[in-house]
Amino acid sequence: MHIPDGILPASVCLGGYATAGAATWYSLRKIRRKENPREGIPKASLLTAAFFVASWIHVPVPPTSVHLVLNGLLGVVLGYYAFPAILIGLFFQAVMFQHGGLTTLGVNATVMGVPALLAYYVFRLRNFLGKGSRVGTGLCAFLAGALGIGLAAAAAMTILITTMPAGIGTEAERTSIYALTLAHVPLMVIEGAFTALVALFLQRVKPMLLEG
Amino acid sequence: MKLRLDAYVDLASPLHCWEPRCKLVALTALIFAFSFVRELRLLPAMLAVSTVLYVLSRLPLSFLVARLRLPGFFFLVVALLLPFLSGTTPFFHLGPLVVKKEGCLHLLLITVKFLSILTAGIVLFGTTRLLTLVKAMAALGLPTILADMTVFSYRYLYEIGDNLRAMQTGTRLRGFRTRSFRGLGTLASLVGTLLVHSYEQADSVFKAATLRGYGRSVSSRGDFQAHPQDLAGLLVGLLTAAAFVVAEMFLRQWGGKP
Repeated sequence: MHIPDGILPASVCLGGYATAGAATWYSLRKIRRKENPREGIPKASLLTAAFFVASWIHVPVPPTSVHLVLNGLLGVVLGYYAFPAILIGLFFQAVMFQHGGLTTLGVNATVMGVPALLAYYVFRLRNFLGKGSRVGTGLCAFLAGALGIGLAAAAAMTILITTMPAGIGTEAERTSIYALTLAHVPLMVIEGAFTALVALFLQRVKPMLLEG
Repeated sequence: MKLRLDAYVDLASPLHCWEPRCKLVALTALIFAFSFVRELRLLPAMLAVSTVLYVLSRLPLSFLVARLRLPGFFFLVVALLLPFLSGTTPFFHLGPLVVKKEGCLHLLLITVKFLSILTAGIVLFGTTRLLTLVKAMAALGLPTILADMTVFSYRYLYEIGDNLRAMQTGTRLRGFRTRSFRGLGTLASLVGTLLVHSYEQADSVFKAATLRGYGRSVSSRGDFQAHPQDLAGLLVGLLTAAAFVVAEMFLRQWGGKP
């Protein structure tokens, strides 16, 4: 889901930066409305670093293992800080590991960050079910985690297939997008379950972390 | 976690001595100009410019090669699919499969673009400390919240990485093996513990940073001073980037088929 440099046309890269800029502006505006926005920065930063490190943990999916994206969990824990956190995490991955790219940073941040913000809104639905309810927290966190990776995968596949190869028919493009997105359904279940387990752990140990 | 991004920032090449703001603007413009290229006739020029940059930076070749490994897997998949799926003109036959000319040319284009952009990016981030570049970005208008978050995250990345490694060693010593889904709960607790530790550490980090003056508005513009040679380098970088964009537009409009 980390689209590298050289793959996408410049117009798509610039469009990605425009949407990432708009999403960053929206997130920063919400953050600045907080009582002491600077106080939240070290917390969000250390959690950003923790997420960056945690995304390298491999989860067993027999016979192999995968590393989790965790964008839904980022939305659940960081709230409006999730988009800047993803932007920074992807920037680190691009410059340190060449995972992703500098020209595609905007596209990748939009693909992963916008679903993270949506995941935050989905998780807030637990307020209607009662914040202390383990079922409500688990269910909303599962939906947030699954939605986060599901939307990101669908967006990344759509961008890749519609912009990259020349000479593939519209019908073939549509079929490929459906097939590749469906291939991510097992990952959606795993990521959703993992997000729910982490959210339930945090609710038991440090509920403040789920306040966004 | 061995990130080693700053491994060669203390060399003394012209690119190491280039003022960070000028270098950031010039190389970013060049990177985006490279991504604009779709004409195959511009590929040799792109490769030449990125090679000159890399030679001038005096970074070792092994530094570049080591960074090609991870994206190399993605390109392997693309290389295995694109020549067969993209285009209509048969190029040659590989058993029952037809290799298409358009697919091969497309593969060539994205590979050269990727290599050129990657090289320019490595020159940018391999010749200046990341924190200096973030300061340069802040001086050029990056929002304070983003700049602060980047600096704090980078500062604690290594420490949190070490914490995770220690916790993983601990779980292994207690007999935990990640072989099935049953381990998912333990991994979730591991990540949860990492988040809780980081959150608790953030309180002391904020207090320590406040005591050191964090929160007082200090302009970072004074940290950098551009000399005539820095501005000359900036001009050369911007003109080269503009030349690629103009050449691309000219070739697309009047250049005919290569």
